[in-house]
Amino acid sequence: MKSTSKWLLYTIHLVLLVIVFFPLIFALVSSFRPVDDIFRYVSPISWRTFIPTDFTWEAYTNLFALRGYGPIVVNTFFIALTTVLFSVIFNSMAAFAFAKFTFKGSEILFGLVIFSFMIPFEVISIPLYSLMNGIGWIDSYYGLIIPGIANGLVIFLYRQFFMDLPMSLIEAARLEGASWWKIYLGIIMPLCKPVTISAALLTFIFQWESFMWPLIVTRSEKYRVIQVAISMFTTEHATAWNEMFAATIIAVIVPVILILLFQRYFVQGVANSGSKEG
Amino acid sequence: MQAMREKTYVPYLFLFPALFGIIVFKLLPIFQGLNESLYSPTFLQGEKIFVALDNYVTLLKDPVFWNSVKVTLLMNVVINPLQIGLALLLALLLNIQLKGIGFFRSIHFIPIAVSQPIACVLWALLLNQEQGIVNSILVALGLPAQPFLGSSEQALWVIIAISTWRGVGYWSVFLLAGLQEIPGSLYEAAAIDGAGRWERFKNVTFPMLKRPLIFVTVTDTVINFLMFSPMYILTKGGPENSTNVLMNESFNSAFQYSDLGRASAIVMMLLVLILIIIAAQFKLLKPKH
Repeated sequence: MKSTSKWLLYTIHLVLLVIVFFPLIFALVSSFRPVDDIFRYVSPISWRTFIPTDFTWEAYTNLFALRGYGPIVVNTFFIALTTVLFSVIFNSMAAFAFAKFTFKGSEILFGLVIFSFMIPFEVISIPLYSLMNGIGWIDSYYGLIIPGIANGLVIFLYRQFFMDLPMSLIEAARLEGASWWKIYLGIIMPLCKPVTISAALLTFIFQWESFMWPLIVTRSEKYRVIQVAISMFTTEHATAWNEMFAATIIAVIVPVILILLFQRYFVQGVANSGSKEG
Repeated sequence: MQAMREKTYVPYLFLFPALFGIIVFKLLPIFQGLNESLYSPTFLQGEKIFVALDNYVTLLKDPVFWNSVKVTLLMNVVINPLQIGLALLLALLLNIQLKGIGFFRSIHFIPIAVSQPIACVLWALLLNQEQGIVNSILVALGLPAQPFLGSSEQALWVIIAISTWRGVGYWSVFLLAGLQEIPGSLYEAAAIDGAGRWERFKNVTFPMLKRPLIFVTVTDTVINFLMFSPMYILTKGGPENSTNVLMNESFNSAFQYSDLGRASAIVMMLLVLILIIIAAQFKLLKPKH
């Protein structure tokens, strides 16, 4: 490659880097300021706008000590991790049935699965709210977690992988008298760790970032999750900007770490889910 | 290869938990929504009466509804080509081999970790009219400060910009994966035939990329037609209803005015609108026979 076009490419990459990072770096920097400093240095622009001169953890300690972010973060983790656990078990079981058995109705049922993940959540959110109201699951962990467990996309990801596993593996185990449950748990699941990581990651991020459903299905503070808490911040404590910046950093840092750590699995999961269309 | 056939109830046992969840929490609500749209609330708490298609008829005569249709269409005409076009350009850029490309690719995963609500809260602070950093920068450059979300002329564009900032990286993941599956031999063959850069894109890259491109186009369109959280968090549909998209109007009907019938009718019409547009996109993008 010519060195001029190479430098052009690096320049474009750097501009994009600034566009992506600017809001996040500014939030990070501002989260370490005392609240007065944010307003004092924002205009006119100087080096003090971007570098905190009085570094303080005040915003973070305030969030946890005064605004109840401890339970909020714990709640969000609890909901996301519980969903991941049940989602991995139930959806992989269903995928196992679809991939390794021939049975009556399998095509129709798989069609329903595909159809279900083409229906965006927003479309069903209001009737789902009525349903939850009927069961009495408004303002409960059940309402927050259970509707998110069964997931057509996760079934699809597992099925793709199971289809490629040789049938002889299962037949041999059957001849030795292993039960189906034992084959699934002892042979199949240990082989598909990469899919499990992808599926768990996508499910976790989906639940961590979900906003509309927790907003609809919960009322009390006891069940508040981080996305809803931050959206309420804008009306409740509109001037505590350092805390708002700190709260966004907390909400962002968890999925950032997970995505960067498991980047390979994330890309695989995303790319495979995209290949369903055709 | 012969799949297992022995005990007939075994596969159903494995299927049961997930399929039960899908049917009850994903499929049933669609029919329930359709059903709900045929009822209207009464003055008695919790009572509702069957009104057939009245909710739909009322909507079609309601200027608020038509304004929402207009805003939703206007936003989508801009946001979908913008996001998909930029995602394609980004994927093409990230596909060019360069020292340190792994690092540059990772960068664009970062906005995926920023949820739509968080992106909104964050950008609202940066774009604040009096104290926001963006206006400070504009002033420092000698430009006039802007009202951004406070103006009925700018609010919708600001929302489009914010969701593009966080969306492009995500959609480019699909397209980059598609680009990497194109065998290099196809480009070599095209180069031997003397094809230029544009011809190689038109004759090799674009046709080979159709599958992920259709997926991205359809999924992004659906998501944007149903966009809700930026309006809820940033503008509540204002100023002057300039960002009152259909989903926001539906949410308000359900949870501000407790009219689940109207809310469901809006969602059903939105669903029909989306289906029409997806069908058109398929027709445009699918290879011709």
